[in-house]
Amino acid sequence: MDNRQTLSMFAQGTNAHRSSRVSSTMTSMNDDHQDLEINGFNNFGQEDLHRQYRSSRLNSLRFLPDNILLAVFSYLTPLDLIHCTHVCHRWHQLVSHHSNLWQRLYLRPDSSNGNSGAVHVRRLDIFLHAIATRFNLSLLYIDLPIELITTEVLRELANRCPNLEYLTLDFSSAMQLHDFSDLNEFPCNLKRLCICLSEVIFLEGFMRRIYSFLSSLHTLHIVGTLEKSSLTSTTAPEETDNYETINISKIKANAPNLRIINLYGVAFVDDNHIEAIASGCIHLECLALNFCTKVIGTSFKNLMNRCRKLTCLLLQNTGIQDEPIMAVNWSTTQLTELDISSTDLNEQALLHFFSSVPNLTYLAVPYCDGFTDEVLDLLITRGVLNTCRALDFSNTVNLSLESVHRFLTSYTNISNRLEALSYTGNVGINEQFWTDAIRFLRRIKILIIGTAHSWFKQVTRRIHIDQILESCAVNCPHLRRLEIQWDPETLRLSENSSKFIDHLRIRCTHLTSFVLSDGPYYEGAKANFERAERHGVVRTITMYQTSIVGALNFYNELRFN
Amino acid sequence: MAGNKIKLQSNDGDTFDVDVEIAKQSATIKTMLEDLGMSEEDDVIPLPNVNSAILKKVIQWATHHKDDPPPPEDDENREKNLSDISSWDQDFLKVDQGTLFELILAANYLDIKGLLDVTCKTVANMIKGRTPEEIRRQFNIKNDFTPQEEEQIKKENEWCEEK
Repeated sequence: MDNRQTLSMFAQGTNAHRSSRVSSTMTSMNDDHQDLEINGFNNFGQEDLHRQYRSSRLNSLRFLPDNILLAVFSYLTPLDLIHCTHVCHRWHQLVSHHSNLWQRLYLRPDSSNGNSGAVHVRRLDIFLHAIATRFNLSLLYIDLPIELITTEVLRELANRCPNLEYLTLDFSSAMQLHDFSDLNEFPCNLKRLCICLSEVIFLEGFMRRIYSFLSSLHTLHIVGTLEKSSLTSTTAPEETDNYETINISKIKANAPNLRIINLYGVAFVDDNHIEAIASGCIHLECLALNFCTKVIGTSFKNLMNRCRKLTCLLLQNTGIQDEPIMAVNWSTTQLTELDISSTDLNEQALLHFFSSVPNLTYLAVPYCDGFTDEVLDLLITRGVLNTCRALDFSNTVNLSLESVHRFLTSYTNISNRLEALSYTGNVGINEQFWTDAIRFLRRIKILIIGTAHSWFKQVTRRIHIDQILESCAVNCPHLRRLEIQWDPETLRLSENSSKFIDHLRIRCTHLTSFVLSDGPYYEGAKANFERAERHGVVRTITMYQTSIVGALNFYNELRFN
Repeated sequence: MAGNKIKLQSNDGDTFDVDVEIAKQSATIKTMLEDLGMSEEDDVIPLPNVNSAILKKVIQWATHHKDDPPPPEDDENREKNLSDISSWDQDFLKVDQGTLFELILAANYLDIKGLLDVTCKTVANMIKGRTPEEIRRQFNIKNDFTPQEEEQIKKENEWCEEK
């Protein structure tokens, strides 16, 4: 609004003198103290002197208009906002009275969506009051840990927060459920619901009370209890103890508009459940069944027949088998995004499958032993990958280095388009492979290369890291995430390594994550970025894992926790 | 449209020749040129709220970002990300607080959304993770609450804070 006023001033006359007279008082004040300000600035020891001058300057924080302070506050989490209310009158007023700052509330200590800012509720009665007075109309997202999933909290949310779109109910640590026999109110405009299951608690008593409120949902997450460790352990997982703690058919029947369903590590889910989904959710666009090990694919024929809008199918670590996959007529589907990581399909099944799939924009096949040179050739000759944005070929033991090299350097119409590429775990690779390939990865945003634990896989070759970095610096202006997995024993540095890191840092200005194996090279890169005050960019592979999932169309909807 | 340059004048009298396309990242200048029919050649555009040191910085920023895609429409409900400040901008904004605030005011007045966003983010990063006392010290803000008022605010936030 301020701008408009100034503009009308201009409109009356372009007389520079007249216009600038308005602000002449401001400038003179600036001028008076300019020198002192510069002298005193970095010296916090002169606090008093400093304050004296600062207070008369216009360029102190307190001269920023409300709309700007609010823009600043809009980047803060509830925890930071609460701190802001303690700062001074003006901040308290601003933060308290602008409810649209209070849109997201993370109440689980270990969640917080990547931002730190989770708040721990200590006094339930005052929290209920805060929902009514502070959050009310503005609240869009809230996650509730088990102790807060109560009739009162849900009633308050239902009555006070009509704009609540996204609710997470975390039952994962539940020992027993509260009594929900009085629960008659539940937020009814939800678009997304995420339910974290408990291993042993049956949720039907709760769900029965809320089915009728789910009709607006278009995204459903059900997060199971399957631990990753049970997949990697060699002992057979116990067949028992897979209680069907939630009734998926009933949810489906009450939520006809679901577009995205994500069942993550839900141990009891099998093809019968998928059949049920297929029969009810005609609007389904994305189905993620990662780590649902009981799904073998017999339901996919009906699924693909009925859910004609389905474009994204994520089947990482599912139990899909050759026969049922080959029974589906994939050519008539709209499938464009596919993840079959760590599944046991053999070469024949993949050849059959890929000879009929439509063109893919996203394909992830890491740990697929059936993904061979022949399968890749088929994909190339059929042009399936011609519009591909993201590829993951990592740890494919039967795919040869030469094939991948040829693919990346000869089919440059494809490699020029790629935004995300992961190719790790091949021990025969050398730096030449990547300097050749990276030349063509002009649009790449996510790149994952190298082999972790290469000592274990007996890599004999050592890798000159500098050339690879230089290649990225020169060719990949859009690079955001780079992961290089080789360990210190395999990486070869030079005294110029820091220069190449400089280069990468300066040229790839969007780089927000650079993940390396812990070791001297990691230390050097970290120090280098930190000297340039780019903190937190360089990370270790023990703490961070880069993946191409960010390139998925439904990435934002699929994120949970 | 010879050379496609315009002259911008700061409030302390310095004028700067700037490409029209670069200057038009400022919605304020763009509106002046287009809606108000100011001609590009003969007139100097006076910017009474910006001094020459700051105007120079703003032009430097706009020149670097001249080929950027237009920033996305503000979606009130979108979750905002604090960490995606490009390294060039980070370097550019390594200035004292006074300059930073003046840049914000200039970006606001000139209506340059990209610059306003990135400067606001920078300030937000200075607040993030700090206690109220640290925030006050950071920005030299006086605690103007009476003890009773402090008590009152503590009460408001009692649902999530200790004591």
